[in-house]
Amino acid sequence: MKQFGKRVWTGTLAAAGLLVSTGSVLSGPSVASLNVCTDQLVMLLAEPGQLKSVSNLARDPTLSSLHEKARQYSVNKGLAEEILVVKPDLVVTGTFSLHNTTGLLSRLGFEVEEFEYSQSVETIAADIRRMGRLLEQSARAEVMASRFERDLAELEPLACSRKPVALFYGARGVALGKGTLAHSAMQAAGFTNMAAERGYEGVAAFPLELLVQDPPDLIILPKTTPGAPALADEILSHPVLRKLKATVTGSFSRPASLNCGGPFTMQAIHELRALAPSLLPCRKAPGS
Amino acid sequence: MNRSRLITMLIVLGIAAFVLSLLIGPARIGPVASIEALLAGGNEAAMIIMREIRLPRALLAVLIGFSLGVAGAALQGLLRNPLAEPGIIGISASASLGAVLLFYTGLAGASLLALPAGALTGAALCVLVLLVISAAQASTITLILAGVALASLAGALTSLVLNLSPNPYASYEIIFWLLGSLKDRTMDHVWLVIPLMALGWAALWASSRTLDALSLGEEGASGLGANIPRARVLVVCGVALCVGAATAVSGAIGFIGLIVPHLVRPLTNRLPGQLLLPAGLGGAALLTIADILARTIIPERELNVGVVTALIGAPFFLWLVIRSRRELF
Repeated sequence: MKQFGKRVWTGTLAAAGLLVSTGSVLSGPSVASLNVCTDQLVMLLAEPGQLKSVSNLARDPTLSSLHEKARQYSVNKGLAEEILVVKPDLVVTGTFSLHNTTGLLSRLGFEVEEFEYSQSVETIAADIRRMGRLLEQSARAEVMASRFERDLAELEPLACSRKPVALFYGARGVALGKGTLAHSAMQAAGFTNMAAERGYEGVAAFPLELLVQDPPDLIILPKTTPGAPALADEILSHPVLRKLKATVTGSFSRPASLNCGGPFTMQAIHELRALAPSLLPCRKAPGS
Repeated sequence: MNRSRLITMLIVLGIAAFVLSLLIGPARIGPVASIEALLAGGNEAAMIIMREIRLPRALLAVLIGFSLGVAGAALQGLLRNPLAEPGIIGISASASLGAVLLFYTGLAGASLLALPAGALTGAALCVLVLLVISAAQASTITLILAGVALASLAGALTSLVLNLSPNPYASYEIIFWLLGSLKDRTMDHVWLVIPLMALGWAALWASSRTLDALSLGEEGASGLGANIPRARVLVVCGVALCVGAATAVSGAIGFIGLIVPHLVRPLTNRLPGQLLLPAGLGGAALLTIADILARTIIPERELNVGVVTALIGAPFFLWLVIRSRRELF
């Protein structure tokens, strides 16, 4: 039954595929992006004329490092209909999102490219190059990717008596453990991730009691969403956090750059490293 | 059983559960060290854990359990309905809706006072609606069905408001408002609810003589000179204060007010007014035990305490429905 249905669709939609391919532009294939992470790579690499639309999340400052740039593009809500109207040569999205939509778009004859959700700083350069090839902007991508690789290789160990221990502690009392981009960035910056040390993987609930019992050198809290309260943020003002002998910062400015991998992830790494000199194991003895 | 003996037993059970609750947590601190840190200080980390994390949690379990137990007993007495309970007839869900409406829309800023204000209003409105329904149609089943309708409406609207919030975490909090939790509360929450709950307990206590008289039916009670309208106002205010304050800090926790009055009633003289105090004490013990279970059933992943009370309470409710069908019809 499924086989039969598929054949009918393929037949009917060959025509649609033809229609789609007539829209190509000289500066490379036109593209629409359905995922906040591919949105940002596309915005960095595509010629303005190439880019038909990005996802609405691209404008969210908590998720997207390029939220201001995203204002100059039209946005989609990840609906297949929106893509049908725009008729891009290429659709890019993440493997995490919208399988129904991407399946439908492939069956309709669109070229759909899926990107793995970036979990480590090591995969960022490869993702940039792949996006560059797809957009036929390989030269631009190569500059960006090799610069990222060089910056990553040039990071020196922090000048501390031991590796400072840090923890990204988020709303609802979760920590970012092993297998997250934040963990990878933290390691690249020269820190030990307390959550990973304790065996936590991914985004995991981290008991407040453990934080008190053995506080890290640095606790990084997210910024809250102004004007839209949620109980999730209560944990960030829990009186216990003020009593810890740890540096607690709520002003880390680049949570979005650790949401998706990209050249901006390097800025987050540098910002992390800039926090190090004030931490206990890295403070210079007075007078020296 | 002798009333004072029952009360003593329930107090002992409650204290035992309270102490056990203080000794449980992911940070492994020995029992002696825990109590020492709580009372005398000493090790700073242990002191913070005991005083700022575990103590408020254990205190809130006792306060909320007591309030839900008393509120359930009072409702069962006033409505002369063995199935009346803040959770089942929608009072907790309405309290959640009130709190959610006022807090997440940002109408009251991010002030934590928005939660009790909204929850109290929601709970009071729900009790009033139910009283009007029960005045027009006195059948047990009508009231329960109306309550179930109100509960599902309030639950759906709560989910809607949270889904519409621009805060990405709000939709995660649907489960908190529908199946409450006592995780990571602070002493601020304790100070917030104590005065409200104390007022609620006082109002319910003031209605207890009339509730006793009401066990003879409304006409019988009036014949004894009981002031029924006054008792009604007292119960509405008392239940709204108790359930509203509880829901504001813990989300909706069901079934405590149903199970406990039924468990302790056979041990009393069955007068509803006399049942209030034992039901409160039993509620405090039961919720504290449920909260211990919520933390220990799956050690690494804490359950919402509302899940535990529902797992205990829903089969109990079914059993009551089947039994009361046999008795009432």
